[in-house]
Amino acid sequence: MIGMTMLDLRPRVAATTILERRELADGVVLLTLHAPEVADATQPGQYLMAIPPSGEAAATALAVYEAEGKRASILFFVTGKRTRELASLACGDRLDVVGPLGNGFDCSGDARDVAIVAGGVGIASVWLCARELLRRGAHVRLFYGARTAELLVDAQRFADAGCELVLATNDGTRGERGFVTDALARSRKPETIYACGPSPMLRRIGEIANGFGVRAQLSLEETFGCGVGGCWGCVVPLTNASAQAPKFPPAQRGGSDVVYARICKEGPVFWAHELRW
Amino acid sequence: MGARTAVVNPQPALAIKLGKLELAYPTLMGSGCYGSGEEFAPFADLSKIGAIVLKSVTRLPRLGNPTPRLVHTPAGMLNAIGLQNPGIEWYLEHELHKYGGRPCKIVGSVAGFEIDDYAYVCERLAARDEIEAIELNVSCPNVAREGETFGCDPDLTARVVEAARATTNKTLIVKLSPNVTDIVAIARQAENSGADALAVINTVRGMAIDVETWRPRLGNITGGLSGPAIRPIAVLAVYEIAQAVSIPIVGQGGIETLTDALEFFLAGATAISIGTANFTDPRIPERLVAELQAYLTRRNVGSIQEIVSRAHVEIATAHQYEGDEG
Repeated sequence: MIGMTMLDLRPRVAATTILERRELADGVVLLTLHAPEVADATQPGQYLMAIPPSGEAAATALAVYEAEGKRASILFFVTGKRTRELASLACGDRLDVVGPLGNGFDCSGDARDVAIVAGGVGIASVWLCARELLRRGAHVRLFYGARTAELLVDAQRFADAGCELVLATNDGTRGERGFVTDALARSRKPETIYACGPSPMLRRIGEIANGFGVRAQLSLEETFGCGVGGCWGCVVPLTNASAQAPKFPPAQRGGSDVVYARICKEGPVFWAHELRW
Repeated sequence: MGARTAVVNPQPALAIKLGKLELAYPTLMGSGCYGSGEEFAPFADLSKIGAIVLKSVTRLPRLGNPTPRLVHTPAGMLNAIGLQNPGIEWYLEHELHKYGGRPCKIVGSVAGFEIDDYAYVCERLAARDEIEAIELNVSCPNVAREGETFGCDPDLTARVVEAARATTNKTLIVKLSPNVTDIVAIARQAENSGADALAVINTVRGMAIDVETWRPRLGNITGGLSGPAIRPIAVLAVYEIAQAVSIPIVGQGGIETLTDALEFFLAGATAISIGTANFTDPRIPERLVAELQAYLTRRNVGSIQEIVSRAHVEIATAHQYEGDEG
């Protein structure tokens, strides 16, 4: 884990009930769950596995968006069969989840000027992170990009909480036209960067952070198998020197110092400068 | 009524044996699907499963395949992990001691690229007390032109099994590949060469292509298909092998529900292995054991062993009637 804690954060299987279902945009669904144990244990950047009520597909990994009191929420784009099934749930329905899982963002530093970068549904991973950084007194700039204005869901919510917004859309319908990473590259150098979004965006953020000479924490997205570290299906190449690297002997092929780390177990958040992707 | 009730066993026996390996429940967690068990321990009651088959280990460390390694497909998933593991020496020194003291049995899994590799790793692994049995993975489809060679050739299978057999008296389970013309011939060779049990089947080779990028969706290009999509293939393999060998079979391939599990027992499996289903819901193995108990009680069957291969009996009976009428 990037951050350290002494609380009992053991993940569990939790039977939750859906308290609220909102469609924030076409195909963007927010489910608020009655899930006291999950809400209590969740750290910023952690995720859960939603067990499909039909039992007809693998569980789906979803960032815990909000965690407050007895409530935790998940925010997702409907992209396929599994998210379609979750989107079809209604208030009062039961949803079993496994979580919270993974090693999230380390929000413990003393950085005063931080940038959070979110691409699309990546916004779901950074709300708890933003709130924690604001609580610690940091100035938080949220660089938030999406395909089109409608998909910049909940941007106002981050602004209301105290974030300075820098928005971008691919079609220019809101904020700058183009990629939000371009806005980040041109902006004032932050002390540190937190990010979640598609892999090409995260790679670019790694380069930008390197150019700034600052560190970045990236929350990676990948197809998960088990979601708990048992199958080694969701991996990313990481330097053997990383504290998060699985404890393997140096690889034999060509003296490589790279080892595949599990995004679900060692991650999903990694230091950009330690990735070898 | 009272006398009759007394005859019925209220707790049908689920205990089974695979060679010397005695299991309290006829359920194994498939190799590569369950880590070492510790990954699932927070969500699953390990005392309610028969055994965990550990991820395969090889003589030398393996980085594993490039990414992506997983693709979800209809009724299943394709994987190409590539036997990522730290190699037997590191494994014995730094990993294996953590696996002792589990409330279920632990089966080690051996993979290799030379017959000597199998024998060497098998001997080192089987010598450890934490390991109660060995599965020989002669059927990984995701190590290019190497690993599956053994499981696809009856003679090579025989040589691997003989070499491993010579190193240990512990139960030897040979995991067979479905990617062959005649799986029964390979099963027979494995039995004749000293296998104590057979695991039937490993994944079925498959491929998926991204129609936007025009590239394969797996870093390894090809992968192994698991999940309900392969279940009928696996049930048939168990059924045919059960007619040809006398050693027990561990049936596997897309088992998720009680019905799925029963199909395998009726086809001839003494035990079942659960893999991909753990990715859907980690409570499935425990639920299956409870449901098997309830099923046997409802059908007034004293033990799971009584229904193993039962489909063969029913088929023979049906043929008898046809013969009588003809």
